[in-house]
Amino acid sequence: MTSALARRGLRASVTLAFTLGALALSAFLAFGTYFSARHFLVDQRERTAMRQAFTDGALVRESLQTSGAQVSEVLGSLSPPAGAVIYVHRNGQWYSSALDSAGPELTADVQPVVADGSVGVGWTGATDPSAVVVGVPLPAVDAEYYEVAVAEELDRTLRTLSIALAVFAGLTTIGGAIVGRTAGRRVLAPLEEVTSAAVRVSAGDLTTHLGTTQDPDLAALVGSFNHMVDALRERIEQDARFAADVSHELRTPVTTLTTSLSLLERSPDLSPRSSEAVRLMADELARFRRALEDLLALGRLDAGGHETEPVRTGADELVRQALRAWGQPYDHVEVDGPNVAVRVDRVQMLRVLTNLFRNAELHGGGLTGVTIVAGDDVVDLRVQDRGPGIPAADRDRIFERFARAGGQRAGTGSGLGLSIVERTVRNHGGDVWCSERPGGGAVFVVRLPIDGAETP
Amino acid sequence: MTRVLVLEDDAGLRASLRMVLEDEGYDVVEAAEVDDALHAVAGPSSVDLMLVDLMLGGMDGFSFIHRARPRTEAPIVVVSARDGVEDIVTALEAGADDYVTKPFLVDEVKARLRALLRRPSLGTASPREEADVVVLDAEEGPLVLDRGAATLARGSDQIHLTNTEFRLLSVLADNLGRVLSRGALLEHVWDQGFFGDERIVDVHVRRLRKKLETEPSSPTILVTVRGLGYRLDAR
Repeated sequence: MTSALARRGLRASVTLAFTLGALALSAFLAFGTYFSARHFLVDQRERTAMRQAFTDGALVRESLQTSGAQVSEVLGSLSPPAGAVIYVHRNGQWYSSALDSAGPELTADVQPVVADGSVGVGWTGATDPSAVVVGVPLPAVDAEYYEVAVAEELDRTLRTLSIALAVFAGLTTIGGAIVGRTAGRRVLAPLEEVTSAAVRVSAGDLTTHLGTTQDPDLAALVGSFNHMVDALRERIEQDARFAADVSHELRTPVTTLTTSLSLLERSPDLSPRSSEAVRLMADELARFRRALEDLLALGRLDAGGHETEPVRTGADELVRQALRAWGQPYDHVEVDGPNVAVRVDRVQMLRVLTNLFRNAELHGGGLTGVTIVAGDDVVDLRVQDRGPGIPAADRDRIFERFARAGGQRAGTGSGLGLSIVERTVRNHGGDVWCSERPGGGAVFVVRLPIDGAETP
Repeated sequence: MTRVLVLEDDAGLRASLRMVLEDEGYDVVEAAEVDDALHAVAGPSSVDLMLVDLMLGGMDGFSFIHRARPRTEAPIVVVSARDGVEDIVTALEAGADDYVTKPFLVDEVKARLRALLRRPSLGTASPREEADVVVLDAEEGPLVLDRGAATLARGSDQIHLTNTEFRLLSVLADNLGRVLSRGALLEHVWDQGFFGDERIVDVHVRRLRKKLETEPSSPTILVTVRGLGYRLDAR
């Protein structure tokens, strides 16, 4: 049942329940009405037939008594009521007002009772529609009088009644289905609202709230849902704030450390052992400082802010600037297609490219080239290296924070470089991914929307 | 000797900065509070450069810049743990010449100090055949920039320029009528390369216009060439 309900859906189940309920109720009422009406009408019809038969039977008895006339003559002088046929059974002989010989067959059910000297009433299905048969014994003339009346009117009435009741039951069932559907929708409307709110929340909109309701049955759900969203947002903000606060608190101490260490590094009086130790410290501190800068940059990106006003710049100009800033003796930029402009936060986007260059240098065996491929709406900046490439399974994971290629523990970067790349590009309405280069090596593709606006 | 004021509330960083700057040959004045720093600025031997931490809540640092700026043209470099856009722009508009955010590399700070301390008249690589005296606006004033004497005057009125404003104006005057990109100005005036923040240029141009232009909101001397940079026109 549960699984059937789950398959069908709640609304369909409610509708079905209402439909079946309406059908059962209307069918019950229709049958009840039909049978009680039928009982009453049949009873009425039998009484009428009996009254008629008594009257006619008395007439036949009197006619036979007075003149000793033949039965057929007496029947001929009688005018039976419309739709009725009179039969007389006398001395084993059957006489009929309609000159047919169906008497024995039609009266078969009633005959034994009449033969015993009682009045018999019954129905025969031999006619169409069925007929009421009344038998009256006429002991004075030693005969049995039968009147067979076809119940045409009764039949018509009952048929009309049954059609009316069936139509009524059908309409009631349809009405039940409609009410069920409406009720189902009404009942499920708040649930749908909750569903769409939950979808918005999972998409990251943590300001979503359900409207307050006066309905005591729903108030608890609405209250706890809103409470859940608030708690979730608070939790996420707390996490982000914690990382930002920690990084912020580390700024001054790290600056003091690097500044002081730069004094030590230049000191001429250090023993070789000491200067070796100072060099180690300086290297580690440089890493630490980079990690801190990356964390701070990620914090700013998470807050969604730009660091400088986005400006319109040529894609190739951006790449060349990044290469110059990167400071490697390398200037191989290939422009495939028209040279297009993008609108970027220059500082952030230069950081994206230098992060990719550093990644190529650290993990990719060195940068081999940057290709710019312009499409209709987007431009791809493809940063290629000559390394072993990234296994397909890791290509999404490497953009996560603190993920390292090939599960490498002792990386030389902060583990945040590619996260910064990903976050920055997304903030610019673009996309970044990693794929394989036909000739071997990895290629990181930064896809940015083209700034189609005319040069201001 | 060049005197450098270090306003920094963190004792450790203040001490290490003092030592590094002393190694560079500067005479360092330390201050942990705004009042001490203002004393040093107003003192008998004035300072040539100020390294200012925005400090707790930023208000101390901002109030120092506001109060020190009228008393000295010496460059102010903001050192800050705050990297919000508003903090940076507020500090620059209050009169700071440059800013660095923590954690910084001390070599970078030293390079910036050197750039800001360069003599204004030696600030450009352009040949000296350019006239030392440039008339920027002949109609009203006249507005005259004398690079030899490092002065700007409208008629008989001297116009007060900070060292950085003067250097910026000199570089633009060397390239009179030519457009200079923000990047080029960053490189020439502040010695900063590709990662410099172009807002430094914008804020300084705004400050300069208030002093040069009769109508700073619709400039006619220091004009913006949209999408390219700035140009100095003589009238």
